[in-house]
Amino acid sequence: MTLNRSLLASVLALLLGVAVVSGVTSGTVLSLFNQAIVYAVFALGIGVLLKQNGMVSFGHALYFGSAGYLLGILLQLQLASAETIIVLTLLIITVTGFVFGLVIVRVPGVAFGMLTLAIGQMFYLTASRARGFTGGADGMNIDWPSTLFGMPVSQILKPGTMFLISWTTLVIVMFLVACLLRSRFGAITEAVRDNEERARFIGISTLLPRASVYALSALITAIAGVLSALNTGFVSPENLHWSLSGMALMMVVVGGFKVLWGPALGAVVYFIFKDILGDYATHWMTIFGVVLIAVIVFSPTGIAGALMNWLFDKPKAGKQAAHSH
Amino acid sequence: MTDYVLQAEDVAIHYGGVKAVDGVALTLEKGQIRGLIGPNGAGKSTVIDAITGRRKLTRGKVVLRGEDVSEMGVVERRMRGLSRSFQRTSIFGQMLVGKQVELASHKMGVEDSHADAKAVLQELDLWRVATIEAQELGYGEQRRLDLALALVGRPSVLLLDEPMAGLSVKESLDLAQHLKRLTSSWDVSVLLVEHDMDVVFGISDVVTVFELGRVISSGEPSAVRADPRVREAYLGSAA
Repeated sequence: MTLNRSLLASVLALLLGVAVVSGVTSGTVLSLFNQAIVYAVFALGIGVLLKQNGMVSFGHALYFGSAGYLLGILLQLQLASAETIIVLTLLIITVTGFVFGLVIVRVPGVAFGMLTLAIGQMFYLTASRARGFTGGADGMNIDWPSTLFGMPVSQILKPGTMFLISWTTLVIVMFLVACLLRSRFGAITEAVRDNEERARFIGISTLLPRASVYALSALITAIAGVLSALNTGFVSPENLHWSLSGMALMMVVVGGFKVLWGPALGAVVYFIFKDILGDYATHWMTIFGVVLIAVIVFSPTGIAGALMNWLFDKPKAGKQAAHSH
Repeated sequence: MTDYVLQAEDVAIHYGGVKAVDGVALTLEKGQIRGLIGPNGAGKSTVIDAITGRRKLTRGKVVLRGEDVSEMGVVERRMRGLSRSFQRTSIFGQMLVGKQVELASHKMGVEDSHADAKAVLQELDLWRVATIEAQELGYGEQRRLDLALALVGRPSVLLLDEPMAGLSVKESLDLAQHLKRLTSSWDVSVLLVEHDMDVVFGISDVVTVFELGRVISSGEPSAVRADPRVREAYLGSAA
């Protein structure tokens, strides 16, 4: 997709968000939409790592939960304004992600996944037991000030506003990531993912691009963590638990990671199952599991991949035919 | 005194007690093609790995245009003009042909990387497939793309590990002609590991023969072909 098309798609997506808020009057429905979008941002973080580095993380809840904890702790300490603290939180997590990345992206395949799981669970246990600092298993409330970015927090927390904030964040993050991946940086990370050895033999130092993608995915996940903390005003060790990482990974698998909007689509599908099917079937996860298996078997590139093949398969075949002549 | 572009001195690669390469000395002059032949397992590819920094030297040193690069990594050696292709095609399958060659050119510090990529692709008759994903190319085209990635930035030394493997006779001859032309027009020196004897003896200025990790013969193609040790060890008495 060209930059102009990405821009046009983003503008249309923003307008769609406004249309949703205008058309949906139920606060409950908007809250459910908002929850899905927060997790769409989370899944996008994992999806970027898989798409650009070819790496599967089982521990990205680390950055989701840590963002909430960092916000909570820094707001309690009242060291700076809430706006500064949000920026600082994202910065700290990006730098931490980069430093972790420098160490763990050297490890290939399954071992990388296990390492992310181990690190994530280490932080989960720490947060569970450091009661004086994090509230332990009970979690901690996040003391937001009365206004944020010049808006009353009570206004922000209205379902419609919160949905718009999350939706706009998702669209902007996706647009910026699309721009980044279209740049030379995107080409370098693609080359390293495709063939690391050849990449070194065309003069690319492969560690920094991999660590940078890991840091980028940590940042995106942390943005989701900030949105969640804003939405719920609460953070608990559950936000760091591996099962949350697993859930986001399922969204990525179902939605597909080859296109940027795949993980977000997966999040929406997941919440459709959870919130609609969940009302009728107690064990909705079993049905979602069957869907997950079906997607893996019949469309390893996810629903988005199947859609893209369906939409663009014919032109591609045409191109091959033209090439053979 | 001869000005060598590349000198490998007393190069050894040992894996525990196994001496994959032991005490090998090789030189390359500017614009020269040196063919490297020997039976499977003789250590030819290991020598290329040693020279390019893919494997750490047990002993010896590698000098590139007068500079000792023995302790340098792959990337540093590539930036100094030491390039290679691989025995198994090594390209970026999911990237467009033009995009990957342009990226390689950019990483080599070429100012107009687009023009450089275009020149290399045209030279190897790949420009017409520049907008196609590499995985969609035929095998012969993929081999040429592997070579194109090695050629961007105009390296001074090119190490080719069986570039003709899997190619038809016509494709092999075409590629051999390309190589011969490149050495003269682009001033690139080539170390060519190849099993196709017609190609090696047809385009090489000098030929080195390996057996069990050691050089058993080296010199002009006609002299090597006549060497009884080579006939016995590799070419066979009918050669």
